[in-house]
Amino acid sequence: MRYQLDLTLRRAEGALVRVLGTTERRGFQPVRVDGDASGDDDQWQLRMTVEGQREPEGLQLQLAKLHDCLSVEVQPCP
Amino acid sequence: MNGARWLAQALVAEGVETLFGYPGGTIMPFYDALHSAPALKHVLVRHEQGAAFAANGYARASGRVGVCVATSGPGASNLVTGIADAMLDSVPMVIITGQVPTHLMGTDAFQELDVFGMTLPMVKHSFIARRVEDLPMMIAEAFRLARSGRPGPVLIDLPKDVQMADASHLPAHASLGMDAVEAPRDASLHEALALISQAQKPVIYGGGGIVLGDAVQAFRTFVDATQIPTVLTLKALGALATAHPLHLGMIGMHGSRAANLAVQESDLLIVVGARFDDRATGKLAEFAPNARVVHMDIDACEIGKLRHADAGVRGDIATTLIRLTLPCAAHLHGRHGTARKAWRAQCQQRARQHAARYDAPGETVFAPALLKRLSELAPEAIVSCDVGQHQMWVAQHWRMDDPRKHLTSGALGAMGFGLPAAMGAQEAMRNAGRPDAQVICVSGDGSIMMNIQELATLKRYRLPVKIVLLDNQALGMVRQWQELFFEKRYSEIDLSDNPDFAAVATAFGIQALHVDRADGVEAALQALLAADGPAFLHVAIDTAANVWPLVPPNRNNAEMMDASPTEAAAPSPAHAHAPDAAHALPA
Repeated sequence: MRYQLDLTLRRAEGALVRVLGTTERRGFQPVRVDGDASGDDDQWQLRMTVEGQREPEGLQLQLAKLHDCLSVEVQPCP
Repeated sequence: MNGARWLAQALVAEGVETLFGYPGGTIMPFYDALHSAPALKHVLVRHEQGAAFAANGYARASGRVGVCVATSGPGASNLVTGIADAMLDSVPMVIITGQVPTHLMGTDAFQELDVFGMTLPMVKHSFIARRVEDLPMMIAEAFRLARSGRPGPVLIDLPKDVQMADASHLPAHASLGMDAVEAPRDASLHEALALISQAQKPVIYGGGGIVLGDAVQAFRTFVDATQIPTVLTLKALGALATAHPLHLGMIGMHGSRAANLAVQESDLLIVVGARFDDRATGKLAEFAPNARVVHMDIDACEIGKLRHADAGVRGDIATTLIRLTLPCAAHLHGRHGTARKAWRAQCQQRARQHAARYDAPGETVFAPALLKRLSELAPEAIVSCDVGQHQMWVAQHWRMDDPRKHLTSGALGAMGFGLPAAMGAQEAMRNAGRPDAQVICVSGDGSIMMNIQELATLKRYRLPVKIVLLDNQALGMVRQWQELFFEKRYSEIDLSDNPDFAAVATAFGIQALHVDRADGVEAALQALLAADGPAFLHVAIDTAANVWPLVPPNRNNAEMMDASPTEAAAPSPAHAHAPDAAHALPA
C-alpha cells in the first residue's frame, strides 16, 4: 500500500534524518520526497509518499512523537 | 564565564547532584568548569560505558534524570550501549558529549565522530550546540524532554569552542520542569469499564509504565479493590509484592506457569503500562487467544501496536487507575461475581501448585535458593542484575516489594549493566541521605567481565555495593539454548578459563569471599552483608543448571518446558505437553 504523508517540521538539525529513519525503521519505504524550508517560518514543509504493509496510523503516531515534528497527516494514495 | 561554566551552573540549577563521566580532549573545558561548581559531584568511571550505565542505574533507582559525560570520538561511542538501554527501557537521562570545534566538524578531525548521527535512533531527542547562545534552550529542553511523558535519553553534543565561548551575556538557567501529564478521556474510561464489567476471567497484566508513571500505589489499590489476578512483566516486578495473594508471578518466556496459563485462559486482559513485548507474549498470534484487551498507556504508539485494543485508554496511568478503581470494584460481587471468584481461586490454586521449590538435592549451590535467601536477608536492598540466567533467577526468586529496587536491562538485555548500574543506584541513595542503603549486584561470569573495571570505581568512592557473582564457567543462557534447541552443539560458550574472581576483586582492593557448597551459603551471605564497604562473593554453581520454566521460541506461553524441582515432583498436564526441544526452532 502507498500512503502520502504531509509533515511540518522544525527546521532543526537532524529533523529530516529523524523522519526518514523513523519511516524506514517502522517498516515503510519512501518512494517520493518533496520538501521546502525556504519560508521565513523556520519550518520544513515535507510531503512523502511511502510504501508499506503495516498500519499507517502506527507510523503517524511514531512520527508525531518526534520532538521536531509539529504535525503529520497521512492518507492512502489513490 | 564561558559556555562550560554556564553549563555547570545550569546543571546545578536543574537539580543535578552527580555526574558520571570520563574526561578527554574535547570535553576538557567542561571538566575545568567543574572546579567552579562544587555542588556537582563527578564520579570518575573507568570506561564510558560504565558512566552511561551508572547514570542509567541512578535514574532507575531515584526516578530522577541521570547525567553522564564523555569526550568526543571513542568516549562518545563507548556511551552508546548505555544510551540505547535507556531508550528501550524509557529511562530519563541527559548525555553530554564533547565535540571537536565547530570549524573542524566535518573534516574528519582527530576524535571527531558524528555521535549525533550515530545515536539518532536511540535517543528521545538530541541537540548539537553550534553557538553558545543555543545552550539555554537546549539544556532546558533536554531535561524537560528526558523526564516528561514517556521518559528517555537526550543527548547534547557540545563542540569545544562553544564550551570556551564567552557566555557572560546568557541568562541564568531556568528549568522547564516537566510537562503536565494528559488525563484519560472519559469516553475511553467508559469503554474500559464496560469490558471489565463483562469479564468472567480477567487478568491484570502490569508493565514498567506503572513505575515510570508513579502509579505503583494506584495500581496496588486497583488490584486490591478489584481482586483480579495479576501478572507482571520483568520491568514491573515489585509493583505488587511477590507474596501478594493475587500476584501470579512474571509473565513470558521465563515466567511462572500460573501467570502464563492465567493469561492464556483469560477472557479479558487489563494491560497497564505494558507493551506486548515478544519476551512477554511468546508467539503473539496465540497470545491470550480468548481475551479482549483494555490497554492503558501514556504512549499512544503502544496502544494497538502489536495487539488490537478493544478499549485503549491513553493518558496518565495513575489517574486512569484511580478513576477506574471504584467503578470496577463495584463489579466484584456483581453479575459475574461468582464466576470471578471461581476464576480467582483457580489461578491461586495453580500458583500454589507450581510454586518454586528450593530443596534441590546435592551439595552444589542452587542459585534460586541462594537468591531467595539473599532477598530475605536483605529485604530493603536494591538489586541490580546483569543479563543472563542469573537475571532470570533474580526475576523469578527474589522477594520484591518495590519496582525501583529491581534494576534490570529489560528490553536491550545488555550484559555489563549490573555493576555500573549498582554504582549509580548507590550514589542515588547517597544523595537521598541513605549512603548505607544496601545495593546488591547479581552478576554472572560472562557479564561481570564486560565492566569489571568498575570495581576500581567502587573502591575509589567506597560505594558499599555487594556483588554476588554466580559463576557457572559458561555463557549460561546461550549454553542452555544450545542444549535445548541446537542439539547440544555447544559453540563458544565455555568460560572454564575464567580468572580467579576473588583474587581479581582483591587486587582491586575489594574484600572477597568464595562459596561452592550449599551448606556454606548461609554463612557466606551473612558475611557478605556484614562486610564494611564494597564486597564480592564468588559463587561456584553447576554449569548445567538451567532456568525453568522456558517457553521455547515460536511457541505460545502455555507450552512451557520445565525440569525444575517443582515439576519433577509434581508433573502437571501442561508439563506433559512440553514441546520436543529437537523440533523447536529459535527465533
